[in-house]
Formats: sequence, structure tokens, C-alpha cells
Amino acid sequence: MANPPTKEMPAAIQLDTATPISVSVRNVYKTFDTTPALKDIALDIRRGEFFSLLGPSGCGKTTLLRSIGGFETPTSGTILIDGKDVGGIPPYGRPTNMIFQQLALFPHLDVYENVAFGLRVQKKPKEQIDGRVKGALALVRLEGYERRMPSQLSGGQRQRVAMARALVNEPSVLLLDEPLGSLDLQLRLQMHEELRRLQRTLGNTFVFVTHDQGEAMSMSDRIAVMNGGVIVQLGTPEDIYERPQSRFVAQFVGHTNLFDGKVIRIEGSRVTVESDGISLAATTPTPVELGQAVTVVVRYERLGLGAGDTTLRGNVAERMFLGGTVRVVMALSGGRLVTADIASTAATGLPAIGEPVALTFNASDSRVLVA
Amino acid sequence: MSLAVRSAFRQRLAASGPGWALASPAVVWLIVFSVLPIGLMVAMSFWKSTIYGTRPDFIFDNYRRIFANSLYVNQLLSTLRIAVSATIISLLVSYPIALMLSRLKGAFRPGFLLLLFIPFWSSYVVRTFVWLPILGRNGAINQFLLWLGVVDQPLDFLLYNEGAVLLGLVYVFTLFMTLPIYVTLDKLDPALLEAANDLGARPLQAFARVIVPLSLPGVMSGSIMVFLLAVGVYVTPQLLGGPSGLMFGNIIAAQFLSDNNWAFGSALAVVMMVVVLSVILSAGRLVGLQQAFSGGHG
Ligand SMILES: Nc1ncnc2c1ncn2[C@@H]1O[C@H](COP(=O)(O)OP(=O)(O)OP(=O)(O)O)[C@@H](O)[C@H]1O
Ligand SMILES: [Mg+2]
Repeated sequence: MANPPTKEMPAAIQLDTATPISVSVRNVYKTFDTTPALKDIALDIRRGEFFSLLGPSGCGKTTLLRSIGGFETPTSGTILIDGKDVGGIPPYGRPTNMIFQQLALFPHLDVYENVAFGLRVQKKPKEQIDGRVKGALALVRLEGYERRMPSQLSGGQRQRVAMARALVNEPSVLLLDEPLGSLDLQLRLQMHEELRRLQRTLGNTFVFVTHDQGEAMSMSDRIAVMNGGVIVQLGTPEDIYERPQSRFVAQFVGHTNLFDGKVIRIEGSRVTVESDGISLAATTPTPVELGQAVTVVVRYERLGLGAGDTTLRGNVAERMFLGGTVRVVMALSGGRLVTADIASTAATGLPAIGEPVALTFNASDSRVLVA
Repeated sequence: MSLAVRSAFRQRLAASGPGWALASPAVVWLIVFSVLPIGLMVAMSFWKSTIYGTRPDFIFDNYRRIFANSLYVNQLLSTLRIAVSATIISLLVSYPIALMLSRLKGAFRPGFLLLLFIPFWSSYVVRTFVWLPILGRNGAINQFLLWLGVVDQPLDFLLYNEGAVLLGLVYVFTLFMTLPIYVTLDKLDPALLEAANDLGARPLQAFARVIVPLSLPGVMSGSIMVFLLAVGVYVTPQLLGGPSGLMFGNIIAAQFLSDNNWAFGSALAVVMMVVVLSVILSAGRLVGLQQAFSGGHG
């Protein structure tokens, strides 16, 4: 636990089906009064996995996390932690620790005593407490802050205290409820690295709740995307990004153009879709039929200015410089807007606002969504 | 005054200026309601009482009289003991009530608060008086016990002793303990309890390590309030105490109301004020008064 912090990341652990299951959620429903918050949630989280619950506000992320931690009782269904049914076991009996959205540091205790809290209530011997608290504070790089009160710390430091307070108990599963929500962007990015480093060093399971898809993408081994109390897609960040299975996921994760239309030609997995009089080439992951109503998904950054299977013509309606990329909004003749993110280096020949422009993409970069 | 010094002085004045302006109503209030009456009382304690009334003077006879007789000192000690007991009992009664109140959900809470307040709509004297028909020789308790056949003679020890006084004091003043404790408990972030639970604390441990320390400010201000109110009473002991249950307040009141010795009464009051203040300050030293009042760790 007291490993000196190193700059380079430990190698990612290999997660495969042989890895034991850490948290298993089976057919969990939760209804508040009459509001259903969770509907038939089923997922297995592997040991040592960085697992994110991603979804918009009110989709039930917190409710699911709190059910795992023992703060909510599912209306029905079971939750297993390390293979053991934890139904009816209160939070203090579970091998989990939670980092709360508002951190909930004890205002009457200093940094050292906050971190020592869990060990003290477990009546660990004094020397052991001291060693572990110091180790945990070193882990989050807060040596020397032992006697500060929480009110005397910056947001980022408080964040680290909350982390140390949870990690010092060496929980099998660490639950994090949007713990970075109150930090500014710079600090968030820094904490992302820090969290990832901690998780790889310690090897315990992290269940991380966020509504920020970038955050989920950059840190997670796997992501469960939630909406309206159900898991709409579960997979690796790449899966979720490259192969969204629903309109909701395509729009929630990353920036996406959606074209609704009908299949007019099929050549294996490659299809042509007609949408408002435009022909679009796309790849389909599932078999489709001629005439079937589908949606074509094209990410902003997959559109370019060069040659491609599909060419869309219109006028530049808006352009925004975003640093590494330039965002171009093009109005098609029918008024429809298409957005592209062009690498700044390739954007030198970009026409001015109002000028005609052609945006292109390849069939391999666009995907068909059924229904 | 050199120019530099003068400008520094002016700066200081400017910096403190608005603060003084804002504080001035408080200062006036303090002078009118606190400094003046206390000053008058202290001054009068050195005056001389004659058959013609109290005359301005500067003599120590009044104080000499207090300490010449162990009666007054003993009476003061027993009064402190009663006030401290009333404070402790109020705390023990109030804490669970406040805790339960802070846990109540929705519509129950205002209803319960109202129930707590209703008795306080009648005067303190009336609320003390009600114990007479309850504890008295022909009172409700004795009637009930006789009816049950548990006793065949009415019990006499229910009334006119220190216990009855304590009961009366706790009944009358306990709200002053309940409310500040309730307020601090109500402010307590429930996430802190969840965090304690999450870190392995069972309910009792969470109570001892989180709820109690965070409610100390309320406990402190409630205790000071009840102690101050209880230590100065004279109506309760007069109605419920009988000869053995008299308190220092009765002695002081007697100087003003019947003996017409205002100077001696003032001296008694000054002694009591000094003693009470030292009790509160040393109790404050013990738990950190600063902390209790600010509720933080300044
Ligand atoms: N204690 C509760 N009583 C009643 N309804 C609740 C309670 N807690 C949550 N809900 C409801 O359950 C649904 C899911 O809430 P939850 O807090 O899990 O959302 P969330 O995904 O964490 O949202 P956010 O990103 O805003 O934190 C919401 O509709 C919410 O109103
Ligand atoms: Mg939430």
C-alpha cells in the first residue's frame, strides 16, 4: 500500500472471462414510491476492473451504486459481492467503500483522523493504524497535511482525503459517485490520471459513476451506458464508441450525425441508405432487408474534405476553431445540418461561411442502426 | 503626529468604521439592558440599608454578612447542585427527543414540534403550579395509588422537597435544551452518517463518533441556557420546594420583596453572578467554549 508513487503507469491488467467476478448484479429492480429507478439491471463486474456507469441525470446511476454499497435496498433482485449475496447486509458489513458525490468528510476531524476513521471503528492496533494512514496519505500525495481540517483544504485536496479515507480500508470494491463533479477541468484531468494510477497500483475493483462520457471513455475498462433505469449498452469504451447499438448511445457518447432513411442497396455488410434524397454508404453490423427503415451514424471526426465513398454537398453555415480541430457545420440544400470535425492541419483549404463545401466519408466509417 | 502615522491611523479608522456603524445598535442594546442594570446592582451592593430605605454609600458590610455565615455559602452550593442536576437531567431527556425529532419525516415533524411548544403558551408559574394537584397529598398520583390499593396512606414525600423542585425545573426549562440540540442535529448532513456507516461504523459507533461531536455546540448552548435559567429561579422552589427545597433565588427575592434590604439583596446577587460566571467559564474551558459557540474549529 505504501508504494512510492511512480510516474509511469503500471501495466494494465488483463481482464478476460477467467477473471473472477467481483460484483454481480442480478435482475435488480428499484422503485421509489411509484417511480421506477432501476429496471431489471443485470451485470457482472470483474475483479480489478475499472467499471463505469454512464448516463444522463436521473437515469439511476446513483441508485445502482448505492444499492451495491448497501444504502438502498433493491425492490427485487440480488447483488453478490465476491460471490456472496449481500442482501440484508448493512453498509458497515460490506467489503465496499464509497466516495460520495459531496465527499462527506467529517468536519470535526482533521485529515489524519478522517483517514483513520474506518480503522478506528474496526479497533485496529495503534501502530497498524498509523502505518496504514501514512501509507494512504502517501498514496494520494498528501503527506504533511495530517493536521489540517477539511475546511482548510482545496477542492482537489479534499478529493484526495476522501480517496485515502476509503482506500485505507483496502475495500474489495471502491464505489465512486461522480467524485470529480466539483473540480475544474484541469484538476479533473489530473485526477483522472491519479485515479487510474491508484486503481492499477491497488488492483481493487472500481465502480465509477459519471455523466461525462469523456471521463468514462478515458478511464474505464468497461462501461455500462444507462438510460431511464435500464442498461442500454455494456462494453469496452471502443465498443460503445465504434459500435453503438442504439440511437441513444450514439448520441450520448461522442458527437454524432444521424440520418434516418431506407435501405436501397445491399452488398454483404455494405449497404446504401437513402435519406431525404441523399445516398449514403454505410456498414451494417446486422443483416438488413431492402426497404428497411434504418439510421446511419457518422461521427463528426469521420467526415473529411478529401475523397470518400459518400459526398455531401452544401454551404458552410458555421465554423468554430476548437484547437486541434475545426468544427464545420454544413447546411444541405434541404436545410439539414451536418457537422464535421476537421483536423486543423487539414483545414487550411476550408471555404468561408456561406461558400459551398463538400464533406465526405467512407462506408467503413459510418454505421447502420436498426430501429 | 507624523504624516505617515496619521494616515495609517486614518486607514485603521476607515477599516474599522463600517464595522462599528453596524455594531452600534448591538452596543446600545448591551449598554441599556446589560451594562446599566448590572452596574447599578454592583453599585447598590455597597450601599447601606436603613429603616428609612437604601442609601448610597461605600461599605463592605453586605459582603461581610454573606461570608460571616455558612448558611449563605451552603445555600449557594446546593443551588448550584440543583441547577447542574436540572441541566444534566434536561440533557438526558432532551437528547433522545431532539434526535427523534430530527429523524422524523414530512408532516410529523411540525406536529411534534407544536406538541413540544404548546405547554409553553401558558405562563411559567402556571406550568409550575400544575404539579401541585398532581404531586400533592390529595393529588392525582396519590388518588391513583390509593385507588389501586398500592398504598393505604397518601404519600407525603412527592412534594415539598428537592426532587419536586428538580422535576419542576426540568419540565419548565427542558425546551431550551431540546431546541438548540434539535437545530444542530437537523443541520447535520445525513451523508456524514452514511459515510460513517460505509467506513464500518455500526449505528452506535456512528452516534458516538459523528453525531455526538457534531451536536456539541447545541448541547453547550442548551446547557448554558438551562443552567442560567435554573440557577436563578425562585418561583419553582417556592411552590414545590417547601422548607428543604429553597434555593438562592428565594433568599435574594426575599431581600427585595419582604425584607426590603435592597443593598444586601444586590450583594447576594453579585456573589451569585460571579460564581455562576466562573462555573460557566470553567465548564467552557473544559469543552472549549469557543468551539461550542462557533460550531467550528477556528
Ligand atoms: N430517495 C428517493 N426517493 C424518491 N425518488 C428517488 C430517490 N432517489 C432517487 N430517486 C429517483 O430515482 C431516479 C434515479 O435517481 P438517481 O439519483 O439514481 O439518478 P442519477 O443517475 O444518479 O442522476 P444524477 O446524474 O443527476 O445524479 C430519479 O428519477 C430520482 O428522482
Ligand atoms: Mg447521481
